[in-house]
Amino acid sequence: MTSIESDTEVAARLEFEEAQRSEGWKLLRAALKVQRRNLLLGALVGILWASFKVAVPQMTKFAINDGIEKNGPLLRWALIIGGLGVLTGVLSGMRRYVAFRESRWAEMLFRERLFSHILRLHIGYHDKAQTGQLMSRASSDLMQIQGFIVMIPITLSNVIQIIAVTAILFITDPILAVVALIPLPFVNLSARRFSHRIHPASIAVQAEQAQLANVVEESVSGVRVIKGFGAEQVQFEKLEKEADDILRESMKAARIRSSFMPAIDVLPALGLVAVLGVGGHRVINGDLTVGDLVAFNVYLTLLIWPLRNIGMIVALGQRAAAALVRINEVMSTKSEISDPTLPMQLPHDETENLGSVKFDKVVFGYNAEYPVLRNFNLDIQGGESIAIVGATGSGKSTITRLLLRFYDAQSGHVYLDGIDVRKLKLSELRSQIGVVFEDTVLFNDTVRNNIAFAKPHASADEVERAAKLSGAHEFILRLPKGYETVIGERGFSLSGGQRQRIAIARAIVANPRVLVLDDATSAVDPSKEGEIREAMKTVMSGRTTIVIAHRPGTIALADRVMLLDEGKVAAIGTHEDLVSTNARYREVLANMSADADAESQEV
Amino acid sequence: MWAQGGVTDEDKLSRAQARTVIGRVFKMAAPFRKTMFMAFACVCVTTVCALAGPLLVRRGIDIGIRQSDSRSLNISVAIYLGVALIAYIFGRAQFLYLNRTGESFLRVLRLAVFRQMQRQSMAFYDRNKAGVLVARMTADIESMAELVQWGLLQFIAAGMLVVFALVLLATLSWQLTIVALLVMPLLIAASMKFQRDSNKAYLTVRERVGANLSALQEGITTVRVIQAYAQEEETIRKFTKSNRELFNSHEHSVRVSTWYFALIEFGGVFASALIIGIGGWLVHRGDVTLGTVVAFTLLLSSLFDPVQQLSQLYNTVQSAGAALNKLFQILDAKPEIDEHPGAIELPKVGDLEVHGITFSYAGSETAALKNVSIRVGVGEKLALVGPTGAGKSTLAKLMARLYDPQSGSVAYGGVDLTMATMASLRERIVVVPQEGFLFNGTIRDNVRIAKSSATDEEIDAAIAAIGATDHFSTLPDGLDTEVRERGSRLSAGERQLVALARAALVDPAVLVLDEATSNLDPGTEAEVEHALERLMNGRTVIVVAHRLSTVQRADHIAVIADAQIAEYGTHEELIAKAGRYSALAEAWKRSQSAH
Ligand SMILES: Nc1ncnc2c1ncn2[C@@H]1O[C@H](COP(=O)(O)OP(=O)(O)OP(=O)(O)O)[C@@H](O)[C@H]1O
Ligand SMILES: Nc1ncnc2c1ncn2[C@@H]1O[C@H](COP(=O)(O)OP(=O)(O)OP(=O)(O)O)[C@@H](O)[C@H]1O
Ligand SMILES: [Mg+2]
Ligand SMILES: [Mg+2]
Repeated sequence: MTSIESDTEVAARLEFEEAQRSEGWKLLRAALKVQRRNLLLGALVGILWASFKVAVPQMTKFAINDGIEKNGPLLRWALIIGGLGVLTGVLSGMRRYVAFRESRWAEMLFRERLFSHILRLHIGYHDKAQTGQLMSRASSDLMQIQGFIVMIPITLSNVIQIIAVTAILFITDPILAVVALIPLPFVNLSARRFSHRIHPASIAVQAEQAQLANVVEESVSGVRVIKGFGAEQVQFEKLEKEADDILRESMKAARIRSSFMPAIDVLPALGLVAVLGVGGHRVINGDLTVGDLVAFNVYLTLLIWPLRNIGMIVALGQRAAAALVRINEVMSTKSEISDPTLPMQLPHDETENLGSVKFDKVVFGYNAEYPVLRNFNLDIQGGESIAIVGATGSGKSTITRLLLRFYDAQSGHVYLDGIDVRKLKLSELRSQIGVVFEDTVLFNDTVRNNIAFAKPHASADEVERAAKLSGAHEFILRLPKGYETVIGERGFSLSGGQRQRIAIARAIVANPRVLVLDDATSAVDPSKEGEIREAMKTVMSGRTTIVIAHRPGTIALADRVMLLDEGKVAAIGTHEDLVSTNARYREVLANMSADADAESQEV
Repeated sequence: MWAQGGVTDEDKLSRAQARTVIGRVFKMAAPFRKTMFMAFACVCVTTVCALAGPLLVRRGIDIGIRQSDSRSLNISVAIYLGVALIAYIFGRAQFLYLNRTGESFLRVLRLAVFRQMQRQSMAFYDRNKAGVLVARMTADIESMAELVQWGLLQFIAAGMLVVFALVLLATLSWQLTIVALLVMPLLIAASMKFQRDSNKAYLTVRERVGANLSALQEGITTVRVIQAYAQEEETIRKFTKSNRELFNSHEHSVRVSTWYFALIEFGGVFASALIIGIGGWLVHRGDVTLGTVVAFTLLLSSLFDPVQQLSQLYNTVQSAGAALNKLFQILDAKPEIDEHPGAIELPKVGDLEVHGITFSYAGSETAALKNVSIRVGVGEKLALVGPTGAGKSTLAKLMARLYDPQSGSVAYGGVDLTMATMASLRERIVVVPQEGFLFNGTIRDNVRIAKSSATDEEIDAAIAAIGATDHFSTLPDGLDTEVRERGSRLSAGERQLVALARAALVDPAVLVLDEATSNLDPGTEAEVEHALERLMNGRTVIVVAHRLSTVQRADHIAVIADAQIAEYGTHEELIAKAGRYSALAEAWKRSQSAH
């Protein structure tokens, strides 16, 4: 029973993979269609090149037979060969250029499409996807495809070359041709087998290298933790293991190389030996000229590379197909959060208080079995400010994410200005909500561009005004290049509090209807926080504001406070009300009352 | 395929540098000298075999075919077969020996560089950007792997082939050798120009690839902010620009190589035309045999191919040299914080005494600490408070010898920390840093970082100690939840709990806590504080405090301002003094109250 089931499962999986692969090929064909003209040109050049290339030994033969042996017009032959040299040179250059240019062009287009797709995928996808994985889709996988496309014109000319050379060999001397050609198919076969076997081995090496890179990256980024706890040895052992793994996998790959590469090198020599042996006797018997023999030799050498290449292109093609399947996996993932077909417009009536937010019986969990919000209801008036208080992990940030429509609720509705967020264009919805996230993300760019992120053409005044309001202006001026200082991971490092203030300025520039501050001043020094708080009042006036905070001083900025507990609104009211009426609220804000106690004891 | 590589002018090694680099490589490779020697021997044999082929053809034609001597012909054929067999056998061996040598060398190099990086002080990490250090350990070493796998072999073989081929050609016929060499100047000049141009083109490509990858990575890691501000279009537009620039640099680098390869192809055919033309004339004059001319046309490629390979590989070898040089620089950088020869174990208990230390971070003119002295008795709790950037964290770090002061000293139990063994130092004094960095792995793995030998029970106990057991057990996978990159699967507060649990796992004599400004709700925080309080019992604790509640639990408080200790005393004393501390306490209280 189970085996039958697994059989059908296997069949289903194979079918799925097959479908994906054919999707992948379709993708490649579509991409290449645009470049069909150039690729054809490349193929044409390749064919011409192959014909001239093949003609060279033929001319050499004539030159030896006619020019040297028979005292013929030697100079003419030499000139003809020289002329062919010019032609093959120019054509091989052109072939190379076209092949590389077209493959790079295709790679570039693919990467652009992939990147724009990834950027638009829903956040739930990004939660699970690893950065490294997505990166390798857009880099090493695309390299596989580029490597394959480059080979297309080259392969075509190789095929022509093989056909032409084989024909010439058979015309010159069929028997010798058979003898000489016997070892050559093995070159092709070995090359193909080699390519097949070396690929998984080099993938394994790369995987080990990536693991080692992870250990190094973490050890460097987390060096404070490692030094603080003296955990150097632990990291060293991890690294040693990875280094050993690399050595092991590399040697596996080396063993595969050693069993194929020398064979691929030596096999053609066998053809040459055969030509010398059998052909030599035929010359002695007078069935063949010395010139023919030499030409034979040269032709055989002309076959070696094309045969190798064709052997490899089969494997390259399969590799490219596998890469395409992986890319297609990403490209065919539809964003679960996307624009509605018939989007509605947000009201723009200036006279009304815009920016009302409503959560209606919202149920949501990142994992459907573990709901974070259960039947969550909240009504926020336009222009009102509300503070959200709740224990760690209670779902405060989750509320923000639902409002931004990073996720859709499993049931219930979220409204902005009375319109279900699912009925709005994403860009319209999101441009009206300015969020300061709890982890401050800054871009590797100037302070100015970071602040003006939501509005790239914001004026210098706008940027500075926002920075002043968020209490960032002062320290920005003290940075080495002021607003033009490059910050972010690869730039000037700022303290946590400074980073948060820049993120707040970024939200202010966006000038949204709804401002969300998720623990946005947690890293700001309490003694500095007071100043920012004053400025924030200006920003918040007339604007819907959601503040997630733990410090009573910040909570007090809001008109109302909501306590989130067990995925529901446990209480709502003013801070004073809740302190006096709600035990859970007092519990969550425990240390305030503790401090108050301590204080009263001292006094 | 076309070997890649290149170096900037400043990275290019001088002759003397190159000599030291090569010397050190051999020294490091000393343990596998035998395999290295075997590899070299194999390369010699296979190169000789490669050249023997055309020679045997010549012998077959001249002595066998032209003299109609079947026996001689057969002998030539038999020898040729034997040579092919030898080439095959030694070819296999050469791969294995060479790869074994190279990969073992890279392994030793990886371990040595990483160990050295870990021995470096924090100052080293301040100086070097994380990305650069990671690149040293990965991209730089990997670029050498390619060289090790086939490049070096080719480089050596190509070099030998050129020399052997020249000697051989000269012994066959000096006249034809001169003819063949007529093309050489052209080839060499072209190769040199190509090598220069492609070096430049490669550097641009490398730079653009780097920029493109960074743009890609930034786009993926910041996708939440990009979407939240609906800036997908703008970000894609910027990426497209970097992507097109990358294409342009690729296109340029292909163009650089195009004319070169065209010329090489032409040169090869042109040289055979010369050999045929002039050689034919020499045959007519009776100066050379026909077999020699034939052998020359066959041997020509043995001369041209390696010259071409050498010029391409030259860049790769050069950039590997530059990479090695940088790695050796890391190996040579003496750790500023290192174990003194004759270092002794720190005593089990003792006072921590800071004596007149002055310290400034490298590259900064102003001192982060100026002539600071303070004493923390056994089991005493000291809180460091003060405005942002005053130097609190710096003092804490110096107390654990993450940096050494420029003057003054830190001693534990009367032993200067610079005289203590690193092992005993890290065991007695543990620092819990301000930002709790989460590593890839489960919650449990992340706690275990603090003490690698900890059992699962100990980790459970540590989580219980900070009162987070209930909380984490509500997660679908409990403590085995994968935290994902930088802990993105967890809420902000949950991440902090994981980092705090680390402190509860260790059992040092001195605990240095750089308290983070908190993402925890006050309720959870209170619980954590109680836990930490239990943790502090019976040990010396230095805590950089951002909260009144923490400060109140300390025995003494030091107010750091402008790199100095401005006030020192108990909470009551300092409040009574009505100085900086009481002002700070006021500000804290205000933020804790609603008005
Ligand atoms: N991307 C995610 N995937 C799965 N679970 C998640 C994800 N983000 C958060 N969670 C879980 O959902 C719950 C709610 O998280 P949320 O971030 O909303 O908490 P929070 O109230 O903001 O907490 P904090 O005050 O610590 O920031 C937590 O238990 C958390 O572990
Ligand atoms: N790694 C570093 N390299 C250079 N300068 C640094 C470094 N770390 C800190 N500084 C500077 O040294 C001074 C003291 O910093 P320190 O981190 O000790 O302050 P702090 O009192 O702990 O402040 P906070 O309360 O913000 O943590 C500051 O001017 C800071 O900018
Ligand atoms: Mg949160
Ligand atoms: Mg600090």
